[in-house]
Amino acid sequence: MDATTESTTVERTISIAATPQTVWEFFVDPEKLVRWMGTNAELDANPGGIYRNEVIPGHIARGEFVELDPPHRLVFTFGWEKSGEDAPAVGPGASTIEVDLTAEGEGTSLRFLHRDLPNVEAAASHAQGWDHYLARLEIAGAGGDPGEDPWLTQEM
Amino acid sequence: MEAALKAIAAPRRRQILTLVRDGELTAGEIASHFDVTRPAISQHLNVLKEAGLVNERRNGTRRLYRARPEGLAELKNFLEEFWDVRLQALKREAEKEERRKHGRNH
Repeated sequence: MDATTESTTVERTISIAATPQTVWEFFVDPEKLVRWMGTNAELDANPGGIYRNEVIPGHIARGEFVELDPPHRLVFTFGWEKSGEDAPAVGPGASTIEVDLTAEGEGTSLRFLHRDLPNVEAAASHAQGWDHYLARLEIAGAGGDPGEDPWLTQEM
Repeated sequence: MEAALKAIAAPRRRQILTLVRDGELTAGEIASHFDVTRPAISQHLNVLKEAGLVNERRNGTRRLYRARPEGLAELKNFLEEFWDVRLQALKREAEKEERRKHGRNH
């Protein structure tokens, strides 16, 4: 893995047993978004509209919607508001997330791409302050309690 | 891992990492890029070294520093793991919602 040069990208493709329309709503409806990420979201799902989500208490992701083709393709920018004394290496709107939804039988193939992370150091700063959550992340990664976001109940 | 996360939480240390990403530099050369004391730079370099993010190499009386790709890769893995966990949560929730919709229709 060449992690020292060029921009950093995270790309994933997963299959979901739900229609593209259902999956789409989990990106543009604040109430549904926080069921899988963050605690407090403000979304204006129109080109140029705001994307703001308190992903971790005290750590707010912010960007704006760029492209919306429901329920097929969604592009929005993504970065971090300043928190504490350390300025984020990836400022609000500095990186880009692309989501492509393709019908697959009765389900959906979801392609997720997080790109334009300037380099891996900046990418790592996305993890800034997240070290407290490592243990929880591992629990969630091992299966966790379905539907429950351990961060929702975490007190800072 | 935790040491690496703490190490990169400081903007100055991220700047130092960027400087030594593509080539070796001495502490003095690194310090010349910043308006801070040489001991402060040495301390930052120690933190980065202990976190496994930079390598130190002695060449005669000089010490040369360079970013350690494996250390940076670990951080990239962390970011990937973050999205893996989030996307699995999305899958669970969307599938639950889909079942709920069908239950209502029947």
